Amino acid sequence: MPCIIALIIFGIMGIFSASHRALAKEAFSCVFRRITLRPCNTGFQEKIKDKILSKLINRSVFLTKLVNKNYELLSWIFFVLMVGSMVWTIRGGYNFYVYGSCNGLNQSGFCAFDPKGENNKISEIGSTCGVVQKTEQTLTLDGVDLSSFPTQDVGSKDNVVFVGCYDCIYSKKAYPLIKKLVQNKKANLIFAHFPAKGDTESLSVIDYCVYKEYGDKFWIFNDYLFSDYAINKNNTNTILEKFGFDVKKINACAANSEIKSAVDAQMRELEKTNLFGTPTVFINGKAYVGPKPYRVYRSAINKFIFF
Amino acid sequence: MLDVEKMREDFKILNGGKAPVYFDSACMSLKPDSVVEAMNDYYYNFPACAGRSSHKMGDLVTKKVKEARETVAKFINAKNENEIIFTRNTTEGINLLANSFDFKKDDVVLITDKEHNSNLVPWLVLRDEIGILVRVLPSKEDNTFDLEKFSELVKGVRLVSMVHASNLDGVTNPAKEIIEIAHKNNALVLLDAAQSIPHRKIDVKDLDVDFLVFSGHKMLGPTGTGILYGKYKLLEKLPPFIVGGDTVEYTTYDDYKMLPLPEKFEAGLQDYAGIIGLGEAVQYLSQFDFKDIAEHELKLNSYITDEMLKIPRIKIIGPKDPALRSGIVNFYIDGVDMHQIALMLDQMANISIRSGQHCVHSWFNHRKIKNSARVSLYFYNTMEEAELFIKNLNKIIKII
Repeated sequence: MPCIIALIIFGIMGIFSASHRALAKEAFSCVFRRITLRPCNTGFQEKIKDKILSKLINRSVFLTKLVNKNYELLSWIFFVLMVGSMVWTIRGGYNFYVYGSCNGLNQSGFCAFDPKGENNKISEIGSTCGVVQKTEQTLTLDGVDLSSFPTQDVGSKDNVVFVGCYDCIYSKKAYPLIKKLVQNKKANLIFAHFPAKGDTESLSVIDYCVYKEYGDKFWIFNDYLFSDYAINKNNTNTILEKFGFDVKKINACAANSEIKSAVDAQMRELEKTNLFGTPTVFINGKAYVGPKPYRVYRSAINKFIFF
Repeated sequence: MLDVEKMREDFKILNGGKAPVYFDSACMSLKPDSVVEAMNDYYYNFPACAGRSSHKMGDLVTKKVKEARETVAKFINAKNENEIIFTRNTTEGINLLANSFDFKKDDVVLITDKEHNSNLVPWLVLRDEIGILVRVLPSKEDNTFDLEKFSELVKGVRLVSMVHASNLDGVTNPAKEIIEIAHKNNALVLLDAAQSIPHRKIDVKDLDVDFLVFSGHKMLGPTGTGILYGKYKLLEKLPPFIVGGDTVEYTTYDDYKMLPLPEKFEAGLQDYAGIIGLGEAVQYLSQFDFKDIAEHELKLNSYITDEMLKIPRIKIIGPKDPALRSGIVNFYIDGVDMHQIALMLDQMANISIRSGQHCVHSWFNHRKIKNSARVSLYFYNTMEEAELFIKNLNKIIKII
């Protein structure tokens, strides 16, 4: 058993060190002999055991004696722990690749590959928005009517719903990746602005009106709002002008109480998703909260993760 | 009186920060700096052939090799240097003799039950090839030589080939008596002096031994060097074992004339650096009174033996009296793999001892003993080292 542990450990260390490579070869020879039902005759196991005992003996004779007597049992325990640890590590690596976090989809626990948790950061929706914070598991599109939101329908079977906030840095980080994804994978896109920050609330109505009045031209406007441009209530008209929209017409639309009711209805629909932060991206119904690396979004659409 | 500390200064390895406690001299002795320097001198300053090239460097090598041969001859008190044949080691010396000697079917070779494989296998091979008979002399209960039994078994023997001092337990066999009895029974004697020559004065004339073999690497010399001594008249009669370059005076396409001793046994280009180093090692050893070496080794061996005997589980191979075991303490514990002890001593305190069957597998297999750990001392070992060994051994014993 110690041979197997040594083979794995020295095998990994051997990638970086020639001296450990020789030990890995010795361990392999030992493992091979054991697998082929022959005794390990290289003395490798004894060498490893005696090295351990020699280190221990100057600290505690009792402990050394214990290790010496129960070496095989301890080796088994370490082996099981090592296999468990390896499985855990591989699972973490898989999760990180596919979900952007070692701990699984939208899990914000510590991840060695993303120590600052950048892939899970969100702009939390405050109590002012009237949304009760939900858990990741309850995020859903079931029963949510998204028909009134800006939509790019290219007739694909893949659907991406991006819920973001114009003034939130994490939404700004995720938006270009989603655009790239939609373009590369030729997926349908639905955009929903959720004003996680209060001073962008008015933009939901503007969005609604621009999309209602100008259709696909909305997306250029949307791209601009997700750029680094600083948005506030006072410069909305300037932006509308910049893209050739009829400012009066849009403002009149925004002032319309029916339109406001429609936008409120949209917000209620979004609340049904149990949204608790932006960006939240639904890819074929599965929710990704926080700005994930591009490969995570791509893997969600790919048939076999990598392709 | 041996000044050990001063002697240790001659060994670079013993003067560094991490000097090992080297207790494996029965396998390989350490080398004094002068031996290494002599070899380097050859390689750096006159790396030429001996005996064939007439340039200055060639002459110098020839001279140095001759000097080495003379030094060795003087060291063992041979009649002349032509009785000294350079070999690679003891094993090669025994093989040379085994293959040159005109053995016939049913000739008897007598060996002891404690022979190193080098003095067992060549005879077993000859037994299988030409049908010689190999007779094994059992030791006494305490592993010492049974002279009485020897006197019985030596009858009808062609060659007595036996170890002088055993690498198994350090017991030195009574060579002079053995040779005398053998000669009375018309048997020749080949003495394996690999373990004895580093520790005691050997006088081949006084012993009247017919053949003597030993290695350079156990007597402070370089590896790959050894000596076969033989009485001139006996060696002269033996045909060479390996022939070719340097063994012949002349050749034609259908004839050759062999060179006289010692060249006829030294085929091909020799290990000149090794031979020069061996000469230097013998020079170095010659400065000692071997009684001082024996006294020093006995002091250390006595301490180690006394301390070991306090540990009930330890069994010492051979007689309990350290005076009979030269510089060797070979021990084992029933049911314990002695490699573990050797490895741990190495790891814990940089103490080098040998573990295993010490090339005397036959002895271990006959007694069904798995292996043993052997401490082999030399003049450069100190009492502090012996104490450190005992201290660490006691620690290990507690955990196994």
